[in-house]
Amino acid sequence: MQRDWTDIFGGLALALIGAGAAGWASLHYDLGSLRQMGPGAFPVGLGLLLAVIGLIVAVPALRRAGEAVPVEPWSALAVLASILVFGFGLRSLGLVIAAYLGVLVASLPAPRRGVTWRLMLAGVVTLLTVLVFRTGLQMSLPLWPVWI
Amino acid sequence: MGTWEGLVTGLNFALQPGVLIFCLLGVLLGTFVGVLPGIGAMAAISLLLPITYYISAEAALIMLAGVYYGAQYGGAVASILMRLPGTPQSAVTALDGYPMARDGRAGAALFAAMVSSFAGSIIGIVVLVLLAGWLSRVAVAFGAADYAAMMVLGLVAASTIGSARPAKGFAMIVLGMLLGCIGTDVNSGAMRFTFGQTELLDGVNLVALAMGLFGVAEVIGNVRDPERQAVTEKIGFRQMAPTRDDLRRMVFPSLRGSGLGSFFGALPGTGSTLSSFLSYAMERRIARRPERFGHGAIEGVAGPEAANNSAAITAFVPTLTLGIPGDPIMALMLGALVIHGVQPGPMMLEARPEMFWGLVASFGIGNLLLLILNLPLIGVWVALLRIPFRWLYPAILIFICLGVYSVRGLTYDIVAVAGIGLAGYLLALARFNPALLLLGFVLGPLIETNLRRALLISRGDPMVFLERPISAAFVVAIAGLLLLSLVQWVRRRRRAIPAR
Amino acid sequence: MTTHIPRRAAFGCVLAFAAAPAFAQDAWPTGPLHVYVGFPAGSSPDTLARIITEPLAERLGQPVVIENRPGAGGVIGIQQMLANAGDDDLTFGTTINGPVTTAARMMGDTGFDVAADIAPVTLIATSPLVLAVSSQSGLEDLEGFVAAAGAEEEAIAYGSVGQGSGAHLTAELFADEAGVTMLHIPFTSYAEVTTSIMGGEIDAGFMAPSAAMPHVEGGNMRILGITSSEPSAQAPDVPVIAGQAGFAEDFRAELWNGFIAPSGTDAAVVERLTTEITEILADPGVQEQLLAIGWQAAPGTAQEMQERITADTQMWGGVIDRIEAQ
Repeated sequence: MQRDWTDIFGGLALALIGAGAAGWASLHYDLGSLRQMGPGAFPVGLGLLLAVIGLIVAVPALRRAGEAVPVEPWSALAVLASILVFGFGLRSLGLVIAAYLGVLVASLPAPRRGVTWRLMLAGVVTLLTVLVFRTGLQMSLPLWPVWI
Repeated sequence: MGTWEGLVTGLNFALQPGVLIFCLLGVLLGTFVGVLPGIGAMAAISLLLPITYYISAEAALIMLAGVYYGAQYGGAVASILMRLPGTPQSAVTALDGYPMARDGRAGAALFAAMVSSFAGSIIGIVVLVLLAGWLSRVAVAFGAADYAAMMVLGLVAASTIGSARPAKGFAMIVLGMLLGCIGTDVNSGAMRFTFGQTELLDGVNLVALAMGLFGVAEVIGNVRDPERQAVTEKIGFRQMAPTRDDLRRMVFPSLRGSGLGSFFGALPGTGSTLSSFLSYAMERRIARRPERFGHGAIEGVAGPEAANNSAAITAFVPTLTLGIPGDPIMALMLGALVIHGVQPGPMMLEARPEMFWGLVASFGIGNLLLLILNLPLIGVWVALLRIPFRWLYPAILIFICLGVYSVRGLTYDIVAVAGIGLAGYLLALARFNPALLLLGFVLGPLIETNLRRALLISRGDPMVFLERPISAAFVVAIAGLLLLSLVQWVRRRRRAIPAR
Repeated sequence: MTTHIPRRAAFGCVLAFAAAPAFAQDAWPTGPLHVYVGFPAGSSPDTLARIITEPLAERLGQPVVIENRPGAGGVIGIQQMLANAGDDDLTFGTTINGPVTTAARMMGDTGFDVAADIAPVTLIATSPLVLAVSSQSGLEDLEGFVAAAGAEEEAIAYGSVGQGSGAHLTAELFADEAGVTMLHIPFTSYAEVTTSIMGGEIDAGFMAPSAAMPHVEGGNMRILGITSSEPSAQAPDVPVIAGQAGFAEDFRAELWNGFIAPSGTDAAVVERLTTEITEILADPGVQEQLLAIGWQAAPGTAQEMQERITADTQMWGGVIDRIEAQ
C-alpha cells in the first residue's frame, strides 16, 4: 500500500521541531511564574503543543493511503541558488552583474532548450530591475563591482 | 465645525489642483509599489518622506495616506495574479484569488478585489466620520487583557481556514507562533532562539517570511509545470468580467467585511490583519458550501479585501483623534507632520480642521481615483498572465530579493528568503497552509506580550480576563466558538458511524 | 496593541547634491559620504541625521547618503557602518546613547568594541525624559508621586519602551534615588505607553517630551518632572526633578545622539567634521528643527563625547547591576 508519506513525514518533522524548541527553551530560558512569566514559558508551551499536534497529524496517516507527491529537486536547487547568487553578489558585484547571473541561474531548469533566450532574458530583467529599483525607487544600491 | 460643514471644507480643500495632484501621485505610487513583491506602503512612504519636506503638511499627509491605501490595491493584484502577498492580509486574498486566476478567472477576481476594496473604503470613511469619537474611546479602553483575548479569538476563529484536516491548520498556527518567539522578548529582554545573530534580534523579517513561504515556494513548484508554460488562448472580455452570480455573491461579504474592518481597524495594532482573516473565516463558516473556499470562491476575495481596506481607513482614528499612531506606518506619517511643525494630538482637529477634513475628503477622492484607474488596468494585469512563466519567474525572484532587501538593507534577509522558500516549498508539498503560519506569526507575539503584560499589571491574578468587560466578552465568544465546533464535530461523528 | 517589531522600510536617499565644489582643492571628501543610521526612515534619530547632513552635504561639496539599517536598538546600524567602511574615510554613522553605552551589557556581544572600533566625532543633541501620569490620577506633583510609590512595594506600575531602554533605566535610577520600588511594564513604543496611561491601566511612564506634551495640551496627561538639569525649551513649565522631593541636585538622565566614525578614520577628517557639525548646530534654524522632533542641540568636541560615553556607560551599568540583583 502507498502510505500517506507526506503527512507522516510532515507531522513527524513538526513534532521534532516542536520538541526541539521546547527542549532548547526549557534549558536556556526562565519559565517564570504566573505573575511574571519568563521568556521560556511560551516557547516551551508552544513547542510541546506543536509536538503533540505533529503526532496527531502523523499517526493516523500511518494507516491511510496517500498519493505520491511530485518533487522538483532541480527546480528547488536552481531557484535557491539564484537567490543566493543574487544576494551575495549584490553588495560585491553590484546590481547589474548580480541580477544578470541570478536570472541565468534561475532559468536553468526552465523546460526549454537554448542559450540565447536565456542570455536575452537576463539582459531584459536586469534592465528592468535597474530601472525600477535604482532609477524609480532610488534604492541605495551599487550598480557595478566595488573595484570599478 | 459640524460634520457636514467639515466635509464641504474638506472637499474644497482636497479638490484644489495643488492638492489633488499629490493625492493622485500618492495612489499611483501606492498601487505601483504594492504590485512589486515585498515593497509595501512602508517602503514607499519612507521613500517619499524627503519629498514631503518641500510641500505643505496637508498635501504631504494626503499623499502619504494615498500611498498607504493605494498599496493595498496593488498588493491584491500581486496576490491574485502571482500569489505574491507582501502582507498577511493580502495572503488571505491569495487564498481564493489565486485559484480563481489559475482557473482563468483572474479578471473577475481582480474586479471583486477592487470593487469591494472601494466599498470597504467608503464604509470605512462613513464610520470614521460618524463614529471617530466613540471608536477612539474604545481604543483607549482596550487594555492588555482585552487585546490578548481578542487575538486569541481571532486565532480560534481563523484556525478552521482552508484545510481538510484541522490538525494541519492548527500545526501551522502553532509553528507560526513559535517562529514569532524568535528575537528579543519584549517582557524580559531575553534574546530567544537568536543563536548570537544580531540580525534576528528584532525577529524574523515578516516580508522575508511572506515572500519565502508564498512567492519562492510557488515559483519552485511551477518552474517545470507544463500548464504554466503558455496560456495561448485569448482571454476575452467574457472570461474577464464577473458574472451576474459573482456580483450577487460579492455584495454581502463586502458589507460584512467592511463592518469587521471598520471596527478592528480603529484598534491600534493589527486590526487590518485580524479583520481580513476574521472576514474570511466568517464567510467560510456561513457559506452554504464551505468546501468551495480555497478553490476560487469569490466571497473569499471580496470579504477580506473590503475588510482590510476599511481597516486601512479607520486605522487613522487613533492617529487623528488622539495623536497615537496605531502601527509603524501611522507613526511614520505622524513623523512627517512633526517635521512640518504640526503637533499631532487631540488638539489637531480643532487647531487644523482643514487637515482632518481635507484628509477625510481625500480618502474618498483617492479611492475613487483608484477604482477609475484600476478597473481599466484589469485587462493589462491579466495580460501579464499570458507572458510565458519561464520569462516571468526569474524576474519575480529578483524582485522578491530586492523587496526583502528594501526593508532593512541586509544581505542576511535575502539569504533568509532562500531558506524560508525551501521550507515553504516542503510545506506546500505536504499541503500545509502557509497563510495560517503567517497569522500565527503576526498574532503570536501580540498574544504573548499582552497576556504576560495583563498578568503583570493584575499582579498575577488570572481573573483579570473575566473581570474586564471587553475581555470577558471575547472569552465568552471564544468559548461559544469552541463549543460550536465541538457540536459540529460530534454531529459529523454520529452521522459517520452508521455509515460504517 | 503593539506593533511589536517595527519592520520599517529603509532606503538610502540621496539627500542633497553639491551646489558648488567649494572644497575642490582638498583631497577629502573624494566621493559621497555614507552615514549609517540604526533606525528606520522617518524615525526621530533618522530625521535628526537628515537635518544635520543636509547642510553638511552643502558644506563638504559632496552628497551625503543616509543608509538606514534599523534593528537591535541601533546596534545593527553601527555593525553595518563598520562592515562597510573602506579606507577612503567616507563612511560614518549617527547613534543614540544605547548602542555605545548599555548595549554590550544588555546583549553580551554586539559584534563591536566601543573603545576599539568607534571614534566619536561630536555629540549632536540631547533629550531629557519627562515623568508623565494620567490627568485622571490623583498624582499632582513629584512629592505626591514619591509618597504614593513609597506607600507599598510596587504600588506604582510604570511603562517603558522596552527592557533596558532609556525610559526603563531612567525610571529605575529614579526609583533608586527615591528609595522606592516600582513595577516595570515593558511596552514597545511611546504610543502604547500613552494609551495605557490614558486608559488607566498603568500609572506612569518616563517619556520623551515630544511624545507626552501633545497629551498634556489635550488635557489627558500631567507631567510631574523632567530629568534634565535645567528646564527644557520643549516643556518650559515642567520643574526639573533634581533638587526636588529629596532628589540630589545633580540628578540628571538624558538620552543623546552623536556622530561617529570607524576608528582608523584620519584624525584631520574627524576634526573637520567636528568643526562643520558644530557650526551647523549653531544655526538657530537647525536648532528649531531639532527641537520640533524632541532634540536639544548639544555640540561638543570629540573628547567631550568620549567622556560622555565613559560616564554614561558607568552610570547605566550601575543601574543595570541593581536591576539584575533584584
